[in-house]
Amino acid sequence: MDLANLVAALDFSTLPQQLVNGILLGAIYALIALGYTRVYGVLRLINFAHGEVFMLGAYVSLFVSYAMGFGPGSTRDSTWINLVIMLLSSMLVCGIVGVLIELFAYRPMRSQARIASLITAIGVSLLLQYGGALILPNSPPPSINERVNPIQGTLEMSLVGPDAGLLKQADEAKIAFTQAEDRYKAQSALDPKAEQASTKGLRDEKNAADRTYNNLQRRLDNSGVRLRVPWGQVIILGTTIVLMLMLTYLVLYTSVGRAMRAVSHDFDSASLMGVNVNRIVTFTFLIGSMLAGAGAMMNATFIGTPLTTFYGLQPGVKAFVAAVLGGIGNIPGAVLGGLLMGVAETTVVWLGYSSYRDAIAFIILIVVLLFRPGGLMGSNKVEKV
Amino acid sequence: MRYWLIRLGSIALAIGGCLLLDMLVTGQVPGVNKVDDFGQRLVVLAGLYVTLAVSLNLINGITGQFSIGHAAFYQVGAYTTGFLAVTYFDRSGLPGPVWVIGMMLISAVAASIAGLVVGLPSLRLRGDYLAIVTLGFGEIIRILVQNSDKIGGSYGMTVRPKFQYIWLVWLLAITCIAVCRNLLKTAHGLPFLAVREDEIASSAMGVNVTRVKVTAFVLGSAFAGAAGALLAHFEAFISPSMFTMDVSFIILTMVVLGGTGSITGSAIAAVLLFYLPEKLRDMAPVSGAGLVAGVIGVLAAVAGIKWLISNYHGSRLNRGIFVVCSIVAGVVIQIVFSMVLRNVPALAATQFEAAKLRMVIFAATLIILMLVRPQGVFAHHEFSWSWVQRLLGRRAPTKEVAA
Repeated sequence: MDLANLVAALDFSTLPQQLVNGILLGAIYALIALGYTRVYGVLRLINFAHGEVFMLGAYVSLFVSYAMGFGPGSTRDSTWINLVIMLLSSMLVCGIVGVLIELFAYRPMRSQARIASLITAIGVSLLLQYGGALILPNSPPPSINERVNPIQGTLEMSLVGPDAGLLKQADEAKIAFTQAEDRYKAQSALDPKAEQASTKGLRDEKNAADRTYNNLQRRLDNSGVRLRVPWGQVIILGTTIVLMLMLTYLVLYTSVGRAMRAVSHDFDSASLMGVNVNRIVTFTFLIGSMLAGAGAMMNATFIGTPLTTFYGLQPGVKAFVAAVLGGIGNIPGAVLGGLLMGVAETTVVWLGYSSYRDAIAFIILIVVLLFRPGGLMGSNKVEKV
Repeated sequence: MRYWLIRLGSIALAIGGCLLLDMLVTGQVPGVNKVDDFGQRLVVLAGLYVTLAVSLNLINGITGQFSIGHAAFYQVGAYTTGFLAVTYFDRSGLPGPVWVIGMMLISAVAASIAGLVVGLPSLRLRGDYLAIVTLGFGEIIRILVQNSDKIGGSYGMTVRPKFQYIWLVWLLAITCIAVCRNLLKTAHGLPFLAVREDEIASSAMGVNVTRVKVTAFVLGSAFAGAAGALLAHFEAFISPSMFTMDVSFIILTMVVLGGTGSITGSAIAAVLLFYLPEKLRDMAPVSGAGLVAGVIGVLAAVAGIKWLISNYHGSRLNRGIFVVCSIVAGVVIQIVFSMVLRNVPALAATQFEAAKLRMVIFAATLIILMLVRPQGVFAHHEFSWSWVQRLLGRRAPTKEVAA
């Protein structure tokens, strides 16, 4: 297929919508990527179990929503307080799980070769996936009742107004249709029995007017550029931004944050300078896992994907790629990487290659690493002998 | 003359041994019962995993290039063979073994080209970044195959002639082990070890780091490709779901548990780690009480061994006795707890299928082994009788060649 055909087949009026979808998807990736990037920055460890912490967060929100009376089939009305309770409990449980994983699986490995901790991380990830499958409900995959979300509507925006000429034609067609319908109704009311002869012509006329009008209306719908975003997804984006700002503040302007930066700069020197390294590592895991928990709750509630214990696998891998893409260890980099990843994915779908949406993450990653091995916003360190 | 006699003798011994194994398994030796189809399949897959683990060990353990996408090369080999067999086998008119050996060579070449493609970025990347690129490469290959309708897409493809040469599988495994061993014993292998220990220092000493890394990738992936060729003909069906990230992780686990850099370690770990989940398949369902008690017992044993390693510095023999004691204590604790917990109705009522427990136990074994012995069972050493003697506290009679 040549390029001209390819471009001609594209529908540019849906592109802005897809880009917005990509940013919303990327916000979730960014939240998970922040956890990866902090942990890697401090411990130089790829925390493969991070995606599974995300999965656990989704299950916690599911159980909390059940406990609040939003089981499957429930038709209760919800308030935003329920959402906040779900968010907080998911963050809390994920934070605790993250800290426990660090304490029991990663801390004993810290003095060992890095490949050993990586294998442990893979082991923890597999254990949570398959061990979770024993205990957690996963067949049929449950999903959070959408009644728990009180903010149902959709945010609609018109970027480019519909074509003026078409609008005028459509209005005229509508008037013509109404008139034809009125005539038909009047005729059939006048003479209900003899429908064949006298009303047939009028009915055909009415149907033709209807077809013209529908055609024009469809063309009109496609001519403008509009965005439709469910309010829930707007909340995801808003919460993500707030959490990121809080994290940035924490890392840049508090004493804990300074200690975190010191530890990630040089682990041993930081401990010599009086930083309680163990406490900082625990804190890092707490924060990272809480962000994953927040992402999981929002993803499970507002997007409503059914939950299995492998729920965290794909988002986890993609978020890790996002963290590397942005420059691992770098907070704005993780956010940028996550957003790029989401946009790239939806763009691939828009281009019509939706089956490659999982491959694009890695293709981008390889290209970026080949040309900028430190990631987009990372520093290219020269190794000294 | 003697040199060549030894060489030819060992080659003949290897081929003879593999043929004997084949005959034993398929029941051609009088007096030995035929192993059922499932058992035959296990023998073949174990051989393939030995090849995969040892070839990954060449990249990961010996050259120190952190690759976690080995299933990709396996897949390239399998699909090359699958495609060629379906298209050309009928027309070629070749006898089975010749065809399969030819396919192994062609698949090895195809996989080594893929290895070259992955090996080239490894010149710029190291450590975790390389790991991620190899992981990503594996996923890209899998998704590409999934989307190619010509080779079956995500439904998989049927490979028509079904050849089940058990001897060829194990011959490949032995060849792979022999190549790695000979590499390490000769001057050609030293640069590989040098690159693992310190890249910069070795390049200062005149080692061509580029060539070493690319050679390791090409050689390692070629063996994986040949293993893929055998898999395609043995199973007569291949699908992308047979080559997921999990497979790469399992191969990597075999290498690391055996001890990175230890050829025998990788081979033994491959056989054990392959059989462990398969054995767990036929286990009876476990009650909740048994499961909880098992977890507690294992944790107790691990805690005992962990404490021992950090606090007790006696002779090897005493330490060994203590390790055995903590394992026994763990078993006792497990039995006691299972008797106590049997009275808890909620736990006794729930049953867990053994099939579902397989991967859980696999993962738990992985974590526990890493916690107890992070350098792998064999560490950098090779299995040898002098090593066993040294482990028991006696002096080694001969000089040890460290890998």
